[in-house]
Amino acid sequence: MPPALANPVAQLALAAVLGLLGFYLLLPKPRLRSVAGGTFLVIAAFAVLAGFVYLRFGKPIESLLPDVLFCLFAGGAVLFGTLLVTNRNPARGAIAFAFVILSTCGLFLLLAAPFLVAATIIIYAGAIIVTFLFVLMLSQVTGPSDENDRTREPLLGSLAGFAFIGLLLMTLNLSAAQPGAAVADAPPLPVEPLTKADRKLLAEAAQELDTVPTADDLVKIQAAVKAAKDKIAEIVGEPGQPLSGATVFDRHRLFAQGTADAREAAFLRATDKLQRANVKMEDEAALATSVDGAKAAAKKLRDELALYSGYGQLPARNVANVGFVLYSEHILAVELAGTLLLVATIGAVAIAGRRKEATA
Amino acid sequence: MFWALVALLLPLAGGLLSALCGLARVPKLAALPAVLSFAAAAVLSLMVLSDVYHGGGELRFAANLGTWFSAGHLTANVTFTLDPLSLTMLCTVTFIATWIAVFSASYMHGDAGFARYFAVMGLFVFFMCLLVLADNFFLLVAGWEGVGLCSYLLVGYYYAKPSAASAARKALLVTRLGDVGMILGIFLLWRMGGYATDLSVLFERIGNNPPPAAEMTTACLLLFCGAVGKSAQLPLYVWLPDAMEGPTPVSALIHAATMVTAGVYLLARCAPLFVLSPDAQLAVAIVGGLTAFVAAFIALAQYDLKRVLAYSTVSQLGFMFMALGCGGVVSPKMTVMAAVFHLFTHAFFKALLFLGSGSVMHAMGGVIDMRKFGGLRKVMPVTHATFLIGALALAGFPLLSGFWSKDHILHVLSDAGETRMKYHNTYYAVFLLAALTALMTAFYTFRAYFLTFWGPVKIPHEAHGHAHESPKMMTIPLIVLAVFALGVGAVVDPITHGFGHFLDRTPSIARADQLYFKTTNMVHTEHEFNWTIAAISAVLAGVGILAAAALYGRGGPEKVPAGLGGLHSLSANRLYVDEVYEATLVKPVEGLAVAGRQFDSFLDAFARLLSYLPRFGAAVLRPLQNGLVQFYALGMILGLGVFLTVILVRSAK
Amino acid sequence: MISLWHFLAVGAVLFGLGLIGFLTRRNLITMFLCAEMMLQGVVLNFLAFGRYHGNMSGQVFGLFIITVAACEAGLALALFLTLYRRGKSLDSADWQTVREAGLPPTVDTDPLPRPPAEPLPPTLPVAGRLPDTFAASHPETTRA
Repeated sequence: MPPALANPVAQLALAAVLGLLGFYLLLPKPRLRSVAGGTFLVIAAFAVLAGFVYLRFGKPIESLLPDVLFCLFAGGAVLFGTLLVTNRNPARGAIAFAFVILSTCGLFLLLAAPFLVAATIIIYAGAIIVTFLFVLMLSQVTGPSDENDRTREPLLGSLAGFAFIGLLLMTLNLSAAQPGAAVADAPPLPVEPLTKADRKLLAEAAQELDTVPTADDLVKIQAAVKAAKDKIAEIVGEPGQPLSGATVFDRHRLFAQGTADAREAAFLRATDKLQRANVKMEDEAALATSVDGAKAAAKKLRDELALYSGYGQLPARNVANVGFVLYSEHILAVELAGTLLLVATIGAVAIAGRRKEATA
Repeated sequence: MFWALVALLLPLAGGLLSALCGLARVPKLAALPAVLSFAAAAVLSLMVLSDVYHGGGELRFAANLGTWFSAGHLTANVTFTLDPLSLTMLCTVTFIATWIAVFSASYMHGDAGFARYFAVMGLFVFFMCLLVLADNFFLLVAGWEGVGLCSYLLVGYYYAKPSAASAARKALLVTRLGDVGMILGIFLLWRMGGYATDLSVLFERIGNNPPPAAEMTTACLLLFCGAVGKSAQLPLYVWLPDAMEGPTPVSALIHAATMVTAGVYLLARCAPLFVLSPDAQLAVAIVGGLTAFVAAFIALAQYDLKRVLAYSTVSQLGFMFMALGCGGVVSPKMTVMAAVFHLFTHAFFKALLFLGSGSVMHAMGGVIDMRKFGGLRKVMPVTHATFLIGALALAGFPLLSGFWSKDHILHVLSDAGETRMKYHNTYYAVFLLAALTALMTAFYTFRAYFLTFWGPVKIPHEAHGHAHESPKMMTIPLIVLAVFALGVGAVVDPITHGFGHFLDRTPSIARADQLYFKTTNMVHTEHEFNWTIAAISAVLAGVGILAAAALYGRGGPEKVPAGLGGLHSLSANRLYVDEVYEATLVKPVEGLAVAGRQFDSFLDAFARLLSYLPRFGAAVLRPLQNGLVQFYALGMILGLGVFLTVILVRSAK
Repeated sequence: MISLWHFLAVGAVLFGLGLIGFLTRRNLITMFLCAEMMLQGVVLNFLAFGRYHGNMSGQVFGLFIITVAACEAGLALALFLTLYRRGKSLDSADWQTVREAGLPPTVDTDPLPRPPAEPLPPTLPVAGRLPDTFAASHPETTRA
């Protein structure tokens, strides 16, 4: 590779220029349209981009199948996106958009979001694209027409788009760590999903918290909680450890600071109650309430553990997890989104409804 | 004191009432408030005069009515002074103004601006009284400028006539030139006198520590500049003949009796200052002498009766300045008395002469060119008689008022020429000049008289063939003024110097006298009447009258004696002074004005150019808003791209 | 080694392509689909970050995004229908009346490519000689 191109900035610039020219040639215009030349240039541009991504960020996933799938889906998304933008026939563009959706859904699967895959396909490919195609059929145009065969400012538009792409990738270039650089404090981590043995350990740890604590058991609960804590820490990593350089299946790093703090708080609440219960062991009633509190905290902790331990269980837990987070942390946004949908529906009906007046 | 202030404010009230009459569309009544207020003011000032006269001792009533403004070292107080000098002037002004107002009521009858005339006249009298009563330089300047303004308004009374408008402008601008010097002189005195602007305080301080001679001379000469402008002395006299464009009573009031005498009054008032600067006084005398001579020379060949009188005024003012200019070598009491006495008598007979010429003009239908009428003594007997009396007084016919005052001046000049003080040769030359001028005065006065009233009766056709004597309201003031011109000189006792003694009680004059005796170590001699000088002036007057009678006794067209044709045309063309001024001063200033206007329009163009820039920028940017939303979005993205580039470049560093 | 950045890069490219399409194409439907593609790029971004930070909020926001996209699609289609009823075409350049007063409208005057003419049905060349009358009125059929 020529040394000038080793610079990521140069690669990005080259890709941007090639892409700019390619799109300029590909966009439907009365003159200066060259599908062959444009295609060639666009392919070259995306090849350079792929090279940049590979060189800069390294192999995406270190086992073969996910890697291949990623390349397939990403390439497909970009290819069909180009088709959507440059095809003069809008119906064909809509079909290309459908394939874009399918490719991005593939990428979503790789990101462990199966529920979103389903939702996207249903809503986009099922509802939106179909409705668009109906509208396109209503307004069929035969032969060359202004809207299909002309573009507004092709050169500046392509320039703006590729400048934007270049700038965004430049940002990524500046913020990513160098490939192969050693990540400090990264303990050796297993890369497989939670094995059965791990799950069993977690389940046992959770189960230990299910026992009804008696006066004597409080000590045991303490010990059990401590043991559970240790086990979880062993499997999952210490709460409060900084996240850096995680791989896809690095479940130790999947627990973000937020959940780590929540977990820590749950631990503390449980141990605190147990400690207080420990102190007031003489008072039976207090013991009872403190034991109830400890039980409730322990139950909560068990649920959380069950939740997290189900993280590796695709796809069923994903829906539950999404629902859990959606309705616990983002309930306000849910309500607002519902209101938005209602208003949009009313608005669409009001705008597009048949008017009595003859203005067409 | 109170009554004096009332006398000061009455003419102002009268003027305002006249203006109101004009606004209320009853202009015919406008004369009444003016005449009544002037008369009341005259009566009050006579009352105050008699109070002061009988008061005895050194007299000065002063009133400090507070501070007008003050800024740092500069303080202008509202102070008035009632001493014999100011009271003399006050009485003269108000008395003559009264009779001129009566005359005007009939002369200006039927004119459209009747009310305006009396309003401005009232204002004028107020300012003149303010000028003479002021004890603070700033009040004096206020009165000075006020009379200048009213002179402009009255000379430009017939504002629709271009010659009148430009004459008014000329009067204002030329006197303004003198005023610049005067104000500079006032500030110099203010600084020298320890930052005082009250006249009495200033005189005392400067008298006690006289400043160096050069500074004093400069200050006095600068003050004299103002007098040169206002009293129409040599370089700045050119406005006075042109000011005859105004109505004739205006000329009588302003340009004979009151405004032009303001300069004389100023120098008389500032006598204690001038006494300390003999060089300045010499300059005053020389300027006065030259003025008197040049003006008399020009008057010899003028054919416009009013212009003859105007040049005569300039010449007589020159006489007054000649007298004042001797104050360094002769006792200031004498010189100031001579000048003020001449001012006093001149006011009467010159006003009389102007009113007489007004009467003639009225009868002749607006014609005042002596070549166009003649032999009017049969047509207008009263006018003829009073005019004769005035002419005799002006010429210095023995026993009339003018004779006594002119005699005083000649006496003072001869004293100055004879003393052993410095410059006495120059003063002697001035004395000879004055004698020659007196001769010329008599000559041109009677030339005018004979051409107007003798010879065959000739009425110009503008009079529509029915010239007659003027109505009573015009002749009565003539008669009154004639009586005064006849007798006022004798009445105020020239031989026993009653006038002089009265005037000597003015504190400023007394101080000037003290300073004179201190600085010159002259022996105080009693003033006695000099029969020689009296005889000389009588002879001069007689010779002039006889010469005029010989040449013009039969009236008629003027025949220039052979050999004097060159001088005659020089005199008739006013020594070409106006033309010289036009070429050297007026044209360059007009050129500057044109250049200024060009610069102004250049600045306008520049401002318009600046206004084009935003419009040009807008025209360049307007096509950006072409209604295509995608274009707008493109612009947004490009801008965002620039923004991001900047951020990335900065964070990459 | 992470491949968060790969997903982000794909998302950026999708967004950029959608941007180009939105800014250039004149057909309202195509414009809108390109806007939807921009949103897909954003969803990809959200999911990638969510996955790599172990946070469910990424997927949750992806859900919100497609909700909003659905609302947007409904309203946009209603508006396009209205515009089509008024302007009888789906061209965004028909609606430029918000321009500055006094500016002429932007009209593209390049001639559009003519559709290729329908090929003539195949004809057989004339064989043999035709009667003189026919040859006289069809000079092109003779070889002279």
